[in-house]
Amino acid sequence: MFFAQLKNELWKLFGKKRTYIGFAAFLFAQTAMLLAFKYTRWQSDFERLLSGNGYLATEFISVLTVSVVMLIPQIMLLMPLYATLVGGDLVAKEAEDGTLRMILCRPISRLRLLLVKWSAGIIFAVVLVVALGVTAMGFASLLFPWKGMFVFSPGQAFSVLSAHEGLVRFLFSHLFLAMNASVMVSVAFMFSCFNMKPAAATILALSFLFVSMVMENIPFFDRYDNFFITHHFKCWLLIFIDPAPWTQICQSEIILVAVSATAFIIGSMAFQVRDIKS
Amino acid sequence: MIELQHVVKKFAGRTAVDDLSFAVPRGTIFGLLGHNGAGKSTAIGMMLGQVWPTSGVVKVCGFDVQSHRRAALQPVGAIFETPVFYDYLSGWRNLEILSTYTAPTSRTRIAEVIDWVGLTGREQSKVSTYSHGMRSRLALAQALLPKPELLILDEPSDGLDPEGIHEMRQTILRLHRDLGLTILLSSHLLHEVEQLCTRIAVLQQGRKVFEGNVADVKGARGKVALKTDDFVRAAELLRARGLITATAEDRFVTLAEGRTTAEIAQALVATGLPVAGLWQQEQTVEDFYLNLIKPPSSAAGK
Repeated sequence: MFFAQLKNELWKLFGKKRTYIGFAAFLFAQTAMLLAFKYTRWQSDFERLLSGNGYLATEFISVLTVSVVMLIPQIMLLMPLYATLVGGDLVAKEAEDGTLRMILCRPISRLRLLLVKWSAGIIFAVVLVVALGVTAMGFASLLFPWKGMFVFSPGQAFSVLSAHEGLVRFLFSHLFLAMNASVMVSVAFMFSCFNMKPAAATILALSFLFVSMVMENIPFFDRYDNFFITHHFKCWLLIFIDPAPWTQICQSEIILVAVSATAFIIGSMAFQVRDIKS
Repeated sequence: MIELQHVVKKFAGRTAVDDLSFAVPRGTIFGLLGHNGAGKSTAIGMMLGQVWPTSGVVKVCGFDVQSHRRAALQPVGAIFETPVFYDYLSGWRNLEILSTYTAPTSRTRIAEVIDWVGLTGREQSKVSTYSHGMRSRLALAQALLPKPELLILDEPSDGLDPEGIHEMRQTILRLHRDLGLTILLSSHLLHEVEQLCTRIAVLQQGRKVFEGNVADVKGARGKVALKTDDFVRAAELLRARGLITATAEDRFVTLAEGRTTAEIAQALVATGLPVAGLWQQEQTVEDFYLNLIKPPSSAAGK
């Protein structure tokens, strides 16, 4: 029954037009960034950076390099927005519309219902990330050749990889990106379980992520980096470093799993004691 | 089928339901009446495990809803005042989705229920294209899917046109007669309640102020219509003899305890007052309800 319920939850989720806002926004942003990279000074600046570090720029301005260049800002800005938009809707929208009341007059436990909804949210997060990666590579391959990979993110990664090694790590990085998106969905889902409007749940989740990011970047809090989840979101970039700092990556992933589980538990507890009224 | 024992529900210091107790026997159509905010929907919410009682016990089909929600709600179907669905999906898909929250339901069963409520041919259309009446029928279909023994209807005729109200009434009677369902009906339409229900409970400000059979309510001592040339004089005479206790609208009298219409007629004829008509008015549920919930100030004035 769980899988039948999950299948139906996915029907509900992917049947809604607003679920696709994120996908549409990513497509638009990727097209704009691709054209900007190709036809503005962005590409020449990048080439200068490579040359300045002793690399032959023409060998590394490739599909994989441009894909990561396009992904970084989208992961930071767009992904939280669309992941929390869907996460915030999962319970609160149904409560607002009144369909939750109809579901809860049936003999399904509240915990089971939340588990189904949360699982659907996680699946959405994975699909969003996969779509992001596939479209980034697809779009980049229209204008750039298949060559070596160069990844640069100030303070995080500076790495030059062969095309094969780059592709493996690019694919692997999506596992961690999916975890990031899942945590964003989970935080919004947690707020969604409280008695509030879906927009409020989304805004609260975004505020939580924003505050975490701001505090993480305040020099005073440098020593407390580990307490901010946005710090752990960056571990997807660490995978491109050679050799990859696996201990740090694993530590971050464990913390993200724990945050996600905690958000689910808090949300479930709030939902369990809540009165569902029209 | 439903049993509430001393149930109290408070929301942030406000008491929505206060020491409510009643029972809905198997096989009845039970009406729950009360003004807006009387606590009907809260009581129904507690029966369906959506609202947690502050104290007291709510049992459905013999199971405590708080501790054995699954067992309690297994044979229950419910409809709420405004039928809400996933508008962007078809009626069929909506039924499929809702049925999985109870038990696996075959396509044959879904088709059977769609046919029963008269939605055949429109089941693949998006719910956003449905009229209010069609939504009500879909709501009924989702309630019937798990083959319920108990149906809880919270304002099922809300927003329907007269034809829709009539159709809903006939459907409820059909459900009771053909499927033998026990039905709890919360409604503002007192005429509808009178036609459908065998027993009623009236809530006022969260408290039960009446519970009894509709037949008893209708058969209760009501007003007596008196048609005579001089109503005022007749009323004075009858009052002086202790035969009536009150008058209304210059044509109704209320009999004193133990008095009959025959005694009235006898008294008037004996004094030479012609009686053109004298008959007992049957009390409607509406009369009864309005008298029951009449504010104390207005009651004292009459």
